[in-house]
Amino acid sequence: MNQAKIILSLMFFTMAAAFYFLTALSYVGYWVVRKHWLGQAATAFAYIALLSMTMVLVSRAGEAGHAPFSNLYESMVLFIWALTIGYLWMEKRYRMKTIGAFVMTIAFLAVIAASMLPYRFKSAEPLNPALQSKWHWLVSLLTPLGLQKYAIGWLDFHVFTTFVAYAAFAMSFGLSLMFLLRERFESKKKKNILVDMLPESDTLDELSYRTIAWGFPFLAVGIVSGAVWANYAWGTYWSWDPKETWSLITWFLYAAYLHARVTRGWKGKRAAYLSIAGFLAVVFLYWGVSFILPGLHAYA
Amino acid sequence: MAESVSGGLSGVNGKVWYRALGAKIWKFFTSIKLTIFVLLTVAIVSIIGTVVEQGKPVESYVIDYGSRWGSVILSLRFNDMYHSGWFTSILILLMANITVCTIERFPPKWKTLLKQNPNLDPSIIDRLSTRESFITDGSMDAAAQKFLSIFRKKRYRVKTGTSKDGITIYAEKGIIGRFGSDVVHLSLFFILTGAIIGSYAGFRDFAPILVGGTFKVPNAMFGLRLDKFWIDYYDTGQVRQYNSVITVVEGGKEVLTKQIWVNEPLYYKGVRFYQSSYGVAWDRIKEAEITLKRLDKNTFDQPFNIGWGELKNIPGTNYSARLVGYVSDFAFDEETRTVFSKSGDTNNPAAQIEVYDGKKLLYTPWLFFNYPGVMQAIPNSRYDLVLTGFRTIPYSGLQMNKDPGTNVVWTGCILMGVGFILAFFVYHRRIWVNVAPQSSGSSVKIGGMINKNPLGFEREFKEIAEALKGPGSMEDKK
Repeated sequence: MNQAKIILSLMFFTMAAAFYFLTALSYVGYWVVRKHWLGQAATAFAYIALLSMTMVLVSRAGEAGHAPFSNLYESMVLFIWALTIGYLWMEKRYRMKTIGAFVMTIAFLAVIAASMLPYRFKSAEPLNPALQSKWHWLVSLLTPLGLQKYAIGWLDFHVFTTFVAYAAFAMSFGLSLMFLLRERFESKKKKNILVDMLPESDTLDELSYRTIAWGFPFLAVGIVSGAVWANYAWGTYWSWDPKETWSLITWFLYAAYLHARVTRGWKGKRAAYLSIAGFLAVVFLYWGVSFILPGLHAYA
Repeated sequence: MAESVSGGLSGVNGKVWYRALGAKIWKFFTSIKLTIFVLLTVAIVSIIGTVVEQGKPVESYVIDYGSRWGSVILSLRFNDMYHSGWFTSILILLMANITVCTIERFPPKWKTLLKQNPNLDPSIIDRLSTRESFITDGSMDAAAQKFLSIFRKKRYRVKTGTSKDGITIYAEKGIIGRFGSDVVHLSLFFILTGAIIGSYAGFRDFAPILVGGTFKVPNAMFGLRLDKFWIDYYDTGQVRQYNSVITVVEGGKEVLTKQIWVNEPLYYKGVRFYQSSYGVAWDRIKEAEITLKRLDKNTFDQPFNIGWGELKNIPGTNYSARLVGYVSDFAFDEETRTVFSKSGDTNNPAAQIEVYDGKKLLYTPWLFFNYPGVMQAIPNSRYDLVLTGFRTIPYSGLQMNKDPGTNVVWTGCILMGVGFILAFFVYHRRIWVNVAPQSSGSSVKIGGMINKNPLGFEREFKEIAEALKGPGSMEDKK
């Protein structure tokens, strides 16, 4: 494999890691010292961090010769990337920067976790037989243009949708933590300079719900696309392998959350605890299953 | 006797006891609390099946967990939990709950949403949190006409009615989003039905087919022939792909030929054939390489090759040999006194030959590749035969699967996607307007409501209110 290219993606990742550090630091700094310029800097750093992460994905794709969604390290990069986009979109729309102190810290922790992965989870490998799943219709569409090597398939679609969902759940987790903090002070009518900087607890609650309302259908699409693909690759759409089962567990937890919220008016604390439990299930689904439980998804 | 019992149990309002019981059960299933409880229960108990490995041989649970826990696991069916009766019962309970809830809630929802009465009491508007009021010049009818065209331009469906002091307009958009959750629930019904059809009407099987060999597909009127099997490699030596070329043979005729690989099955008459494994045949070989050993001189002759079933003179002797048997992992069954292969691996390969003197069959010795000379192949002679090599026949392992429920499951999945788009991304906006005549111009009250995304609606409502006010109207300060 081309050495120069590997160095390129490593370089971008190092750059991204540095900027995620600066981003998290300045969002937290903005929250603590409340300087407008620090908030501006934080957002600027976040955009640069996002750009570097995009370059990591692009250069990895170049190194491996396929979309960079095929191992744990690449999926972490995708997760961080999606989380950053989601956060920046939310910041732009609702103009609330203190959320960044939590969400971008989660993103930075994810960067550290990704960089600490052992080498065998990081190297850019050619795809094994089961992972080659290009869509025929796309290949035949792109072939006349000479672009068939850029065709994507079930692997890419499945991983992408799943990780958009994971990112949404991570964001909702951050928002729920903020909610619990804020709510604790509000209910006791205590004053605290830091806590008072956070958005109102009702807003945090609503935003947490809205991010889950994004993650839930995306997880469903991720599960279904995995089933469609499994039907092609393994001969059955559902085999109760630990990854599949845990994805269903997670989905059921969030389904319970949505039903509790929409029809029984579960808001606030109980909803926040359920959202935190949901994210813990996501973490186990993502890392726990990959490292602890053997199964068909073991290569991730 | 029977009458007195039923009479005694009949409830209030003259309902007989089973009706009352039925109503109670029905009520139990209409509870969303039950839904939440069951969802969380399924989520939590599902963890067990990911920790206890599923579908292993029964004895291994006793070995791994000890006899006490092993028997607990087996009696609760944790070894095949997801197919156990109790787990299936929970899923059926969930499905019953969803079905009853949907039946219970759908008709009233349909009624209230679609048959919205445009004639309203203007005080309703005052109770909405998103509302505005202003005074506009122009008559009541002119203002109403203008408003209707504005709403229509913004793709709202409108209805007009009357209130006690003027004209009312009811405008709405995205009502279909209200039915998203029902569509999702319906989709779950499809998915479950498909899964049930698959588990009763489908079958799964596995068959290794030798290159050049044929295979009769069970429960079907056709067979397969494996024409070719090969492996593609990357430059780095990693496996790129496993490929088989298979031909469907039906009624003695070749119907179609297709190259399959992992992720690219063959589909024929409801059965899918997947590339699932490969290996070499454990019960036959293409040819064997045999070397003659002269025991008196302790020397070896040039080896010779002998094909499967072929009769050949052993060079330099009067004997001839026929290759008749092969096992890849030699084992002997004492009871039936037969030789078989312990596994598909080539651990202890052995070939069997028949040794003839002229036309007379003398011996049928096994030649062990790993243990040459363990038994003399031609007893009472100066010769022994040594198996010095063999050429294997590759096979391609095909997984076959017939699942007539799959398409029902996919229909459910598509429905679910549609349902999610409706439920999460289509918002139902409703706006009520009341126009009442005044001494000069008309007084207008508008109020709006959305089922989701209140933050976004505020903005849209403001826009609409501005458009309705138009130039020349003034804020009602009341």
